[in-house]
Amino acid sequence: MATPMYVTESGEAIHGIMAEFANPADLYHAAEKVRDAGYSKWDTYSPFPVHDMEEAMGFGRTILPLLVAIGGFTGASLGFLMQWWMSGIDYQLLVQGKPFGSFSDGGWQAFIPITFECGILFAAFTSLIGMLALNGLPRWHHPLMKKERFLSSSDDKFFVCIEASDRNFHPERTRALLEGARATSIELVEE
Amino acid sequence: MSQAVNSTSLASRFPQLREQNISFAPGAGGMGIGLAVIGAIMVAACAAIGWVGPNDIHARQALAAYHVGVMSVLAMCLGSLFFLLVFHLTQAGWVAPFRRQLENVASFLPIAYLMVWPTIIAEIAVGGRMFRWLADAATGDPLLGRKSFFFFGGSEIGHGHAPFPIFFVIRAVLYGLVWTLLTRRLISLSREQETAVDATPFAKARFTSAWGMLLFALSTAFAAFDWLMSLDYKFFSTMWGVYYFAGSAFSAAALIAIILAVLRLRGKLEGTVTGEHFHDIGKLLFSFTVFWAYISFSQYFLIWYSNIPEETAFFLHRSGKWSWLGVALMFGHFIIPFVVLLFREVKRNPRLLTLVGIWAIAIHVLDMYWIVRPMVYSALPDPPHGPLVGLTDVLGIVGVLLFFAGYLIKKIPSGNLVGLGDPYLLEGLEHKNYV
Repeated sequence: MATPMYVTESGEAIHGIMAEFANPADLYHAAEKVRDAGYSKWDTYSPFPVHDMEEAMGFGRTILPLLVAIGGFTGASLGFLMQWWMSGIDYQLLVQGKPFGSFSDGGWQAFIPITFECGILFAAFTSLIGMLALNGLPRWHHPLMKKERFLSSSDDKFFVCIEASDRNFHPERTRALLEGARATSIELVEE
Repeated sequence: MSQAVNSTSLASRFPQLREQNISFAPGAGGMGIGLAVIGAIMVAACAAIGWVGPNDIHARQALAAYHVGVMSVLAMCLGSLFFLLVFHLTQAGWVAPFRRQLENVASFLPIAYLMVWPTIIAEIAVGGRMFRWLADAATGDPLLGRKSFFFFGGSEIGHGHAPFPIFFVIRAVLYGLVWTLLTRRLISLSREQETAVDATPFAKARFTSAWGMLLFALSTAFAAFDWLMSLDYKFFSTMWGVYYFAGSAFSAAALIAIILAVLRLRGKLEGTVTGEHFHDIGKLLFSFTVFWAYISFSQYFLIWYSNIPEETAFFLHRSGKWSWLGVALMFGHFIIPFVVLLFREVKRNPRLLTLVGIWAIAIHVLDMYWIVRPMVYSALPDPPHGPLVGLTDVLGIVGVLLFFAGYLIKKIPSGNLVGLGDPYLLEGLEHKNYV
C-alpha cells in the first residue's frame, strides 16, 4: 500500500473528510460547490434518491453501454464461430438433410438462435460484471462504516465525503469548503 | 394520480405551455387537403388501370398495390392504438406531452378500416383475384375444405361458384366495431379530461384499456390472419398475428417520432417534447426493430427446419425474383436500424430520428409489399411485364400513404398539440432518462 499523504496524530491513514447535512437541498448545493471546486474522488450519501444529483455532482457518462456492446458483439461472434467450426469443419453431422454451415449453402441459418443467445449472455455478463467493476462493488467494508454518525445516512441525514487521495484535497481548505456549504458537522474519516 | 390543473394558471407557471407553443393558427394544415386529394386521385387512377387494363393481371396488381398501402397505414393506426392502450394501462407519465399525437394517428383507424372494404367487396364481386380461397372455393380443394368454415361458415364449397364468405365478413365487421369503439372512447375520454374537475375520465380510460387490450390483441391478430395470411390459404403460421403487430408498433413509433420532429422544426412544442422524449421514442423504435426480427426469424426458422410443404410454400412464393426483397428486409428492417439506433445521439436528435423514422416506415411498407405482391403471380407460370405493372404499385401504395399523410397534416393543427388537462402532464414535462 502506498504511503498515505495525510495521517492523524496517532498515525492512522486518513480516508477523507465527511460532512453531514440536514436536508437534501443543502446536500444538493454542497455537491454543486464540491463539483465546482474540481474534486473528483468524492461521493454523496442520502437515505433516498435525490433528483438531478448526478448533475449537481457533475457526473460524466458511463462507458458501460460501450462495454456491453463490445461484450454482446463478441459473444455473438464467438457463438457463431464455435458452431461454424464444430458442425461445419470439426465434426460434420448430417441432421435432417440440413446444410453444414457455410454462407453459400445456407447452413448458417441454423446457428442464429445460439449466436443470439451467446450475444445476450455475454452482454448480460458484461453489464453485471462491468457495473460491479466500475462502481467498486462488492466490498466487505468501507471506512465510512466505522463512523457512528454515518449510520444515520440510511435514516434522516445527508453526507458528503471527500477522499484524501483526491488531487485537490487539502486538510484545511477542504474542511473550509464543506463548512461554507452549511455542513452541520465535519469529521475526519480514518482508513 | 395527480389532480387536474387549471389551464390558464398552467401557462403562467410553465412557459412551454403558452398558446403559441402548443397550437397552430386557425386554418393551418390546408396543404393536407391537397395531399389527400392527390392521394385519392392516385388511388382512383390505380383502380382505373386495374379496371380497364388489357389483362387480368392488371386488376390483380392494382388490388394488391392498394392492399399493400391500406395494410401499411392500418398497421400504423393499430400501433398507435396499442401505445394509447398500454400507456393508459401503465399510467405512463412521460407520454403526456405527446398523447394527443398518438390520438391523432389512432383517429384514422376507423377510416383505414373502411379502406379495407373496397378490397373485400371487389374480391367477393369478382370471385377472388387476390384471395385465392375465394377462387378455389368454386372448384373445391381438399385443404380448403378443411378450412372452409373459417371463411364460408356452414356453406358447401366446390359447386362451381364461391358461396358468400359469411364468417369472413362477420369477423371483418367485428374488427371495425372493436377498433372504432376503442379509438372513439379513448379519444373522447381524453377530451373530457380537458374540462374535468378530477381525473375520473383518465381512470375510465384505464379501465377501458384493460379489456380493450384483450380485444385489440384478438382483433389485430385475426385481421392479420384474414387479410394477409389468407392470401395463401394453404399456408399457416401461429406467429402471423404477432408478426403483423410487431410491424405495426414499429411503424407507429416511427410515425410518432416524425410527427413530433416536424412539429419541433415548425417551432412548436419547444421545451414540451424534449430530447428526453425523443430518446424514449427511439428506444421503443429500437425495441420493436429487435422484436420484429425476433418474431420474423422465429417464424422463418421453424418453417425452414421442419420443412413441411404447406409452410415452405410461403417462402417458395417469395424466392427467385422476389428473394432480394427478403434480403432487403433482413438488412433494412433489422440490421441497419439496430446498429443505427444503438447510438444515443441518434435517438436524442429529432432530425436524425426522423431520418430513421422515414426509413422505418418505408421498410414497413416494403414488408407489406413482400407479403402481398408475390401472391399476385403465384398462380401464373409466366407473369406479364410492362410499364403499367410498376405504375399500379406506385399509384396504389403512394396514393394511400399520401391520403393518410394529408389527413394527419390537416388533423394535427386542428386542436391543441398538448392535452392541458392530462393528469400526467407535469410529470411528462419533467421527464428525464437519468442515463
